[in-house]
Order: sequence, then C-alpha cells, then structure tokens
Amino acid sequence: MIRFIHLADVHLGAVPDRGCPWSREREEEIWETFRRVIASISKNPVDLLFIAGDLFHRQPLLRELKEVNYLFSTIPDTQIFMMAGNHDYLAQDSFYRGFPWEPNVVFFERESPMVVKAGELDVYVTGLSYEHREIREPLYDSLKPEIQDGFHVLLAHGGDETHIPMDRTALGASGFDYIAMGHIHKPQSLIRDRMAYSGALEPIDRNDMGEHGYIEGRFENGQVRTRFVPFACRSYQKLVLTVREDSTQYSLEEMMKMDIMKRGGKNIYKVVLQGWHAPETLLFPEKLRALGNVAEILDETRPAYDLEALSRRYSGTLVGDYIAYFLKKDMTLVEEKALYYGLQALLETGMNLK
Amino acid sequence: MKKDMIIKRFTIKNFGKIHDRTMELSPGINVLYGENESGKTTVHTFLKSMFYGIQRQRGKAARTDTYSMYEPWENPAVFGGTLWFENGGKNFRLTRNFYKTDQSWEFLCEDDGEVLDLEKGDLDAVLGGVSEVVYENTVSVAQLKSVTGQDLVRELQNYMASYQGTGDSELDIGRAMQMLKMNRKGFQVQAQKRQKETEKEQEKLVAKMDYIRSEMQNLNDQREDLRARETSLHMTEEENGEAILDARIEKIRKNQKSFYATLLATVIVALAGIFVLGQVLSGSVLPRIVVGILGILALGWEGIHIRNLSEELERRQRMKARWTQKQEKMRWNRENLDEALKEKEKALENLQTDYQEMQDNVYLPLAQEMEIEALNLAMDTITRLSSNIHKYVGEGLRRRTSQILSEITGGRYTEVLMDEGLHMMVNTQERTVPLANLSRGTMEQIYFALRMAAGEVLCGRERFPVILDDVFGMYDEERLAAVLGWLHKEQRQVIISTCHKREMEILEKEGIPYNRLVL
Repeated sequence: MIRFIHLADVHLGAVPDRGCPWSREREEEIWETFRRVIASISKNPVDLLFIAGDLFHRQPLLRELKEVNYLFSTIPDTQIFMMAGNHDYLAQDSFYRGFPWEPNVVFFERESPMVVKAGELDVYVTGLSYEHREIREPLYDSLKPEIQDGFHVLLAHGGDETHIPMDRTALGASGFDYIAMGHIHKPQSLIRDRMAYSGALEPIDRNDMGEHGYIEGRFENGQVRTRFVPFACRSYQKLVLTVREDSTQYSLEEMMKMDIMKRGGKNIYKVVLQGWHAPETLLFPEKLRALGNVAEILDETRPAYDLEALSRRYSGTLVGDYIAYFLKKDMTLVEEKALYYGLQALLETGMNLK
Repeated sequence: MKKDMIIKRFTIKNFGKIHDRTMELSPGINVLYGENESGKTTVHTFLKSMFYGIQRQRGKAARTDTYSMYEPWENPAVFGGTLWFENGGKNFRLTRNFYKTDQSWEFLCEDDGEVLDLEKGDLDAVLGGVSEVVYENTVSVAQLKSVTGQDLVRELQNYMASYQGTGDSELDIGRAMQMLKMNRKGFQVQAQKRQKETEKEQEKLVAKMDYIRSEMQNLNDQREDLRARETSLHMTEEENGEAILDARIEKIRKNQKSFYATLLATVIVALAGIFVLGQVLSGSVLPRIVVGILGILALGWEGIHIRNLSEELERRQRMKARWTQKQEKMRWNRENLDEALKEKEKALENLQTDYQEMQDNVYLPLAQEMEIEALNLAMDTITRLSSNIHKYVGEGLRRRTSQILSEITGGRYTEVLMDEGLHMMVNTQERTVPLANLSRGTMEQIYFALRMAAGEVLCGRERFPVILDDVFGMYDEERLAAVLGWLHKEQRQVIISTCHKREMEILEKEGIPYNRLVL
C-alpha cells in the first residue's frame, strides 16, 4: 500500500485582504498551516507528498526556499514531488533554478513533461513546471503513462484558457492512476478517486469561500482511494441574514452576533442581507462590520412594498407613473434598486403616513 | 347624456359607530350635518372604502389602521354596506363586507343586470382610472391643517407644487430628493473610505519598496567599499597581491639559498687557506691562525645573516597567511553581499507585482458605486416623470385655479402665480401680493380654488362628486355665500359635511336648493 498526500496552491508569502484587520495574521497563518502539514506528516509519515504548483504566491526568496527545504528534511521518509505553478513560475533568475534540494525532493525544473521514478517504490510521477506566467498550450492532454506496472501519477497545474487548458475527458481516459491538480482554489473532485483539485491549503482571499485543506489517498491493489481533509485554520463563509418586517438594526445585530458565535468568531464572513424590511425602518448594514471579521456586506433587502397594490392605488400620480416606468421592462439590478430607493423616498417623506 | 359620477344612495349596514343607516343624495348640493363626533368622517371613510376597499397595514401599524378604527364593536362579522351610484349614464349597485375572514362583494349593473367582477378590475374600469390616491386628492377635500400663517403659506405652496409636479398633494418631491441625496452621500463617503484605505495600502507597499531600495543601496555601498579595499590590496587580475607576496618569499628563499652557498664556500676557502698556508709556511702557525680566525668571523657574520633571512621568511610567510585569510574573508563577504542583493531584488520584484495587481484592482467597481448609480437613476427618473406631469397638469392647474379664485372673489384676485422657488403670489388688478401678506380667509379661498381645479384637472374627463369636510369654518358670510353660489353654478354633486348650521342658512338665504342629511 502506498499512502500519499496531495496539496496545492499554498501561496506562501501571500498577503490576504490587504487593509483588513486580519491581513497580517492570515499571512502568517498560511505559513503556519504549511508547517502543520509537514509536522503531521512527520508524526505519521506518508510515502508521497505531491505539491501541485503555486507553493509560493510570488517568486520565492532564497531564504524561503531554504526554510521549505529544511521542513522537507524533517520528513526524510516521504518522497516529495513538486512543481512551479503560474504564480511562482521559473523566471530566468528564479532561485528555484539549481536549488540544492534535499534528497527526498523531486522538483520538476523544465516546462516539458518528464517522468520520475520514486526511489525503490513502483511510483512514476509525470510533471513539469511553469517557466512562464501563462501557458496556452494544452501540455497535458496527450500525456500517457509509459510503463505498465506501478502507481502512475500526473502532477498538473492549471486548467483554464491561459494556464494549460485541459481536456478533462481526455485526461480521464489517459490511464494515469491519479491526477493531482492545482490552480483552482476550490477543492473539487473531477473524477472520483482519479482526478481532483485539492484546492488551496488555506483560503487566500475573500473569494476562496468554504472549506480548505488537502487530499489524502492510498494506492492499493491498483486501486486509488482518496478523501478530502479539512485543514485550514479558518474559512471564509457566507452569512445570510434574513430580514423581516419587524426587524430592527438591533435585532439584526443580535442575529448576526448569534450566528457568528455559532459558526466561529475566527472565520471571516461575507454577509448577505436578504428579505423585506418595513419601509419606514432604516438599516445600517455597514455597522455590522464591527461585530466580527466581515469581509464584505451585500444588502439585498427591499422595503416591503406591494408594488401591484401601490401601483393601483397611486395610478395617475407620480408614484403610479414611477412604478409603472420600472415595471414595464425587465429590470436590471440597478433599476430594481432605483425603483425601491425612489419609492421609499417618495412615500416615506410624504405627509401621508396613514 | 350626463357623464358625471353621482352617488345616489348608500346604506351603512355596520361601519364604525354607524349601524343600519340609509341616506339618499341629490345630484346637486348635499349638506351632511352633525355634531362633532357624530360620524361625519365615518361616512366619508365608508364611501371611500366602498370604492377602494380597506388595505390592511402589516405588523404594529395594523393596530391603528383604518380597518381597526372602523371595525364594528358589535357583530363585527357584518362590516360594510351598500352603495348605489351612477356613472357614464349607467346605474350600479355595490355591496361589500370588509370582515377580514369573510370578505365579500357584489357588484351589479342595475340597467342590464350584468354582474361585474371586482377582482377583474371592473370597478377600476367604471371609476375611469381615478385611483385611490387621485380620489383622496380630488374628491375628498379636508380642511387646511395649519394653524399659523407661516405654516399655512408653506402648506398651500406645497399643495400647489405637489399637484403640479406629482398630481398628489401628499408628496413632497423636495424632501424625497433630499433623502435620496443623503442616501447617496452615505455611499459616497463609504466609497471614499474604501478608496482611502486602498491608497493607504498602496502607500504602505511603496514605503516597503523604498525601504528595500535603501537596503539595496546600502548593500551596494558595502560592495563598493569592498571593491576599493580589494584594489588597495592589489587585488586586480593583472597585479595579483598573492603573486607579489609569493615572489617576495621566493626571493628571500633564493637569498637564503645563496647565503648557504656562500657559507659553504667560506668554510671551503678558509679550510683550503689553512691547508695551503700550512704547506707553504710550515712552521709558522700565526698566518694559519689568522686565516682561521678570519674564516670563523666570516662564518659568524654569514650565520647571522642567514638567521635574519629565515626570520624574514617566516615573517613573510605569516604575512601571506594573514593576507590569504583576509582575502578569503573578503570573498566570503562579497558573496554574501551578492546573495543578499539578489534576494532583495527578488523581494522588490515581488512587491512590484503586488503593487501592479493592486493597481489593476482599483478599477474594479465597488459595491457602493452600484448603489450610487441606482440612486442617481431614481433621482433622474423622478425628475423626468415629474416634469412630464408638470407639462400636462402644471399650467392647466394654475390657470383653472386662477379662474375659480377670480370667480369666488368677484374678480378681486385674478391670477395665482408661482415663481421658480415655488413661492406663490396672487395678482390683484393692480399688483402681485405674496401669500404671506394675505388674510387667512383669502388663503382659504385660494385653497378651495386649488382643490376644485385639481379635481377637474387630475380626474380628466370624469366629473366626480366633491366631498368638503368642514372646510368653511374660517369663511365669513360673504365669502361663504360666494363659494356656495359658485358650487351651485358648477352643477356638480357636492357633499358638504359640517357641524355648523351657517352653510344651510346661507343656502336658504341665497335660494340655492340643497339636500339635507342629518346624522
């Protein structure tokens, strides 16, 4: 049995959400979680570790490579296969070039694919590195494992138009036992137990919603089994608050405090306000920022107006014309917002508050 | 054929405090007389509810809404009545029950027996597009709310402006626009804050880059320094310091060697001298002793010299070792400096990429910008639609108001004017007078003229009844007589509700026919 861990897109050195209060901490946490992975491997060694590109967010510094190499030296029983992705691509003067790696590390140093055997194990890993920020050629689609016996792995980074486009069907039929992919930050299995993006180890910014971690797998009797292991120390989550007609700023804040308490104060939230609020109630969504780690607030609430009833009641006056003007067409989001903003302003400032 | 809408009769089954009352109305002037709290407003609300139903408010507001206010205390399941009216020459009967769990209605055209459907909008069609709010603005005329002169002026001006710009006296476009602008300001401030934050982050990056640049400068200086020292140690390619030192050592070694040769030669010469002298001057010892002494002296001198030379050699060799060490250190230093510089260069490059990325993101639209765009669209749309209304209401309304005012004042005031700042004035035959300078009575007359004109302009072709709710309280006899005379002349259905007998007295005195309804 061969055990392996597949991770990608660690983005060491990234500074997430510049300007947000948690930015500094996150920068350090990205390093820390990588160290934690290595420490956990050291405690419970696996045979293989695949790092499918973008270990670094930018061009790695020499001391950073030295630190990573030192970490690798603490897991000498694990054979490590790694590549440079589009973020940490092999620039002309990259410190990656010619770096003296530990003996247990295989670093693919060319942009053309090559196959490396893992020591005495019957493991054959095909891989390459990015030597450019962008690669538009589908370098992976035609690859096939050469030798019949053993565990055949393809280490691949990219999958979109400008980063090695991939024909997933062709790759699925290529004969590799496992394709360890990187580049897309959201963990996703493309073919069960055969082909997967492990996703970023830690979320890199507010766009990386949901769980993050790595993929753990085993190869036994020609069969691969994998499972996703959540490992990030916190996550970005969508927090939907549903506003009702009797909601107030206070009740909204209480609701959010409760939700954050339930889901963890450390997580970073993208708050979405939905529902209908009483037209006369003023809500201040921006004030919710103070209640936790809030990366973004989207206010999708609308004043609870019955447009049809209003348009009947106000027909022949400005309010009637106003509603009719917007309702007679397919509204864009901006137009819908405009409709409610204007309506609220007209009706709430009028003298008629019956 | 008469096209007017006429309320002919109504039966209040159970509505507020009124039960089982039927009233017949004339197509001309009706006076609904009753003491305070006798139910005049109940009658008005009943009539409006028959036409437009009762919209329930949601939440807390429901406790004080129209429904709750007029829900009968006794037998609440029967909550409504019947209305007979004529419109467009046809007679209709409308029966409604407003009770919340048992709402029902029956709508019949009495002439052809056609059963009509409220839910299909048959009543809206019969009312010819006069919506509830238009009804409130035209059919139903309440007294002016303001007590003091200043407020009155404002109220009146607002009526006029609102009618002209919105067709709805309850609206206040100015305040609505103000609210939208404040809203927009809020988002603008937020957007600016975001922008400032981004700028601050960019500045931080720039500062970091500057710091790295200064570090690089520092490293470069150190390297220059090193190079200068290397040069001073003859460390250029052609004139290698090591070679010079080696040459010197070699020279001393040679020197040493030649002295050893000399030493050997001296010994040989001395021994040879002693031997030769011994052969030639046998017997004489003295010359041999002299030669021997000379030889020993020479050897001594040479020995000292050799010792000096080997000391110098040692010194030179020590010097070379020191020099080599120094050179090693300098090379090591230089390599370190080069590596540090390369590292800094990379770090700087990475920061530049960060900065570029940030710069690219600056152009992404902020969430606030969409809100601002929506608010601008709202303001533009309100302005545009309002000016449309102004086009077909504004001037017509002003002219008709002027005409009515002139008629009810016997030509004393000929015109109502409004300037750009929405200030109202009236034209007498000689001059214009600002509203504030007019008596309360005159302002009441202007209000009346405005409301009557609005009824005509806003309802379009349809002529609806006018319900005047206690509006003549501030009128003196002369003014009242003029207004009642005008209403009679207009030949339309009027319901004057009042708690005074003055209206009826004057109507009788003027010989104007009217229908009297007593609550």
